[in-house]
Amino acid sequence: MSNTSHEVAQGPHHNSGAASTALSAHSIDKKFPGVLANDSVDFDVRAGEVHTLLGENGAGKSTLAAVLCGLYQPDAGYLMRNGKRINLSSPRAGLQHGIAMVHQHFRLVERFTVSENVILGSRDLPFKLNRREINEKVAAVAESYGLPIDPDATVGDLSVGQRQRVEIVKALYQGAEILLLDEPTAVLVPSEVEKLFENVHAMTAAGKSIVFISHKLGEVVEISDRVTVLRNGRVTGHVSGRGTTDTKELARLMVGRDIELNAQRATHAIGHEVLQIRNLSLSIDDVAVLTDISFNVHAGEMVGVAGVAGNGQRELADTIAGLISPTSGSVGISGAMTTDCGPVQAREVGLAYVPEDRLGMGLVPSMSILDNLLLTRDRKLVVDRVSVRPEASRLIEQFEIKANGPDHLARKLSGGNAQKVLLARELSGGRSATKLLVVCSPTRGLDVGAIETVRRLLNDARSAGQAILLISEDLDEVLSLSDRVLVLYRGSVVHETPGETAQLSQVGAAMAGLAAEGRS
Amino acid sequence: MRIPFRVVFEQRGETPRRLSFLVPLASVFAALFFGALFLLATGYSPIGTYTNMFRDGFASFNGITDTLALSTVLICTGISAAFAFQMNLYNIGGEGQLYLGLIGGAWAGIALGDHLPTLIMVPVVLLCGALAGAAWIFVPAFVRSRLGTSEIVSTLLLTYIAASLIKHVIYTPGSFFRNPNTSFPQGRMVADSASLESFGSSRLYPTFFVALIIAGALYWVVKRTEFGYRINVISDSPRAAHYAGINARRTTVWVMLISGALSGLAGAMLIVGPYGKIEPSIITLGYGYAGIVVAALARNNLGLIIVSGILFSGLRVGGNNLQVTTDTPIHIGVMLQGAILLFALGGEAFRRYHIHVVRTHDASSKKAPA
Ligand SMILES: Nc1ncnc2c1ncn2[C@@H]1O[C@H](COP(=O)(O)OP(=O)(O)OP(=O)(O)O)[C@@H](O)[C@H]1O
Ligand SMILES: [Mg+2]
Repeated sequence: MSNTSHEVAQGPHHNSGAASTALSAHSIDKKFPGVLANDSVDFDVRAGEVHTLLGENGAGKSTLAAVLCGLYQPDAGYLMRNGKRINLSSPRAGLQHGIAMVHQHFRLVERFTVSENVILGSRDLPFKLNRREINEKVAAVAESYGLPIDPDATVGDLSVGQRQRVEIVKALYQGAEILLLDEPTAVLVPSEVEKLFENVHAMTAAGKSIVFISHKLGEVVEISDRVTVLRNGRVTGHVSGRGTTDTKELARLMVGRDIELNAQRATHAIGHEVLQIRNLSLSIDDVAVLTDISFNVHAGEMVGVAGVAGNGQRELADTIAGLISPTSGSVGISGAMTTDCGPVQAREVGLAYVPEDRLGMGLVPSMSILDNLLLTRDRKLVVDRVSVRPEASRLIEQFEIKANGPDHLARKLSGGNAQKVLLARELSGGRSATKLLVVCSPTRGLDVGAIETVRRLLNDARSAGQAILLISEDLDEVLSLSDRVLVLYRGSVVHETPGETAQLSQVGAAMAGLAAEGRS
Repeated sequence: MRIPFRVVFEQRGETPRRLSFLVPLASVFAALFFGALFLLATGYSPIGTYTNMFRDGFASFNGITDTLALSTVLICTGISAAFAFQMNLYNIGGEGQLYLGLIGGAWAGIALGDHLPTLIMVPVVLLCGALAGAAWIFVPAFVRSRLGTSEIVSTLLLTYIAASLIKHVIYTPGSFFRNPNTSFPQGRMVADSASLESFGSSRLYPTFFVALIIAGALYWVVKRTEFGYRINVISDSPRAAHYAGINARRTTVWVMLISGALSGLAGAMLIVGPYGKIEPSIITLGYGYAGIVVAALARNNLGLIIVSGILFSGLRVGGNNLQVTTDTPIHIGVMLQGAILLFALGGEAFRRYHIHVVRTHDASSKKAPA
């Protein structure tokens, strides 16, 4: 399944033999309290190539990328650009050398529009901005790289996928020669990934360099000229040459054992209805976001919701979780009507919810892992941290969260480890025993080993009789795990099919809005 | 016309820990240095002046007790400001809430007469002052939580009204708060049972310990209680609060009410302590505004307010004494206070940003001394 067909853009691959080293790092050390995130790492990227960094969650990939772009200063080691030693004191200095990074966690101002965010930090802006001119320029850059976006949209209103697009457009707008992409595809749907890859090829053909970070091995095989594997901050492996490796080998290089991701859909009894959604409609500012949605999820059943980002998934999940009151219709959780009850009530009747957005919604960045575990629990008047501490330590161990302990701040976790904290909290029960689990993109940003663990945990929860609503843009994930698949398109359920017999082509067509009349 | 260079602020990826305490310290020294330039320019010796200030503020019996006495008030107004600021609620009307505390405390102290023992009377007066301060911020708190109306504007405007109120209750003939026995406008004294004794020959009152206890208690509330937990969640990520079902509106109102109550309490402490009546000159002293400086110096960290409150009080007491012991104008002390605030706020930028000077015409960038 690694060889998803996809046309290679703009002719054959670039002159790989003669290409010169564009940027190199030599014996980089980077320490954080309690961890050596980079341990004498050597790394280089040539003009016109895609060099991928691969490694488990917390291996030090983002840290290395941050050093390469000037965000972090290494404790030891140095960088060279086109053969000359450089010293990057800040991302701005990096940008002056044509190095730009697209971060794993977005660094956008939510209240600003897309173009305001894109030009933020640009040099030599005139005192008075000509909004129309800038909008046109931003739109032109975005369009020319196949990433269409409305320059006037407020970033706070955009989905995670769209925000990622803004980040990429911003780096391109700033004229990057070397682009560091930290898990750019984690939030993109397959068609967008294809577009991005076309663009990557166009850029490498023009002699630009890409440092790529991804946990999706299929993508890595497809796009990379070279791969460097990191483990606990050290370089532990290299693969060079396009097409000389496969996903199995990469997985083995990364975690040191074979990984079996094809979760078996265990046969199990499906019980009574736990989630009941009746004629649910939602309008926000008079725009219909969800239209007349009705479905059930039973105990011991996993229902997958597939769809392209921005078709109402986030709102559907938020409505079920009691964060949004629907315009009409009702939500019931194990017999109780929770339509307008708010999130606390919904949790009390057995809801657990992993939202799409981890830092900032699911987790509070400035708080510790321990305090974050308490976020959706019943806290006493005087918060009792002492008795939760052992459980926090246990969860850190069980989910293999790379952290210094329960007091590690959430914002200082690597991306995948932050996601694990969120999952650990929601999968381990909260105010009451979990009956309904709503999970959005649960494995986004996780390494293959962790994906295996999370899928096993989801299966275990299902076997234990929990009802699970899995909302994900990762179609493979939805199809391979779900008992039943719903497709959400423009706020309506346009297709429904049993998971076992689901056809990739049919579901894909429904996602694109080409569903045949209604649902079966 | 173009300026050939530009100062650029760039967010730090990580803040070096040492900057967290170096910056406030450096801002005090920078302010002193700034003041020294002024002293030199006006013909005074900076070293002599600062030595006097230090002696009069800290290193003499009268100096240190006066400093602690002043810090009693400034710690309260300081926590009042910091408590709201940490949740990004900018109550800058502590000054007005303090006036109301004076009025509320004086009301209780006069109206309840000499019937209750001091042990009950004083807490009642303090409570009434706190309630009056809270009442004064209620409307700003309510509209802020419901409509998002800027509390900066509303609390500031109410301060002007509170100042008029102070003048009104003292200068209006026959006013309840005015001393009926003098033709000269003066506050009416509260009952004896509502007045505390100062320690020995000093002007320091037991309310100092009340201020310390309150600072400690609020620190504990923020660190350990459910209420503090909510404050932390809301101030960091409102969306996470929404997700967790934390009612941000209600918490906003409570935090602002408590902030107002603390400033009111500071006013009532003046009633049971040094004043014993409404002293109309209070509106020239700016104790409420000084609380903002104290909070800024402590970077809104409730644990540090006691330190910054005492430090700032000492500078102020020392500065005020300059005019008595030397002929240095009192304004030098006032100027230093302003300078400290500016440098403390400016210093924050060094902590959070890398600051560069960039030439606009060629691409090279130079690092400014950080
Ligand atoms: N600012 C920080 N302070 C303290 N520790 C940090 C900080 N940033 C990262 N770390 C630690 O450094 C290690 C490497 O983190 P890094 O973000 O580079 O991992 P990663 O390889 O990008 O992982 P992921 O795939 O999960 O994104 C982790 O153990 C992490 O907890
Ligand atoms: Mg990372």
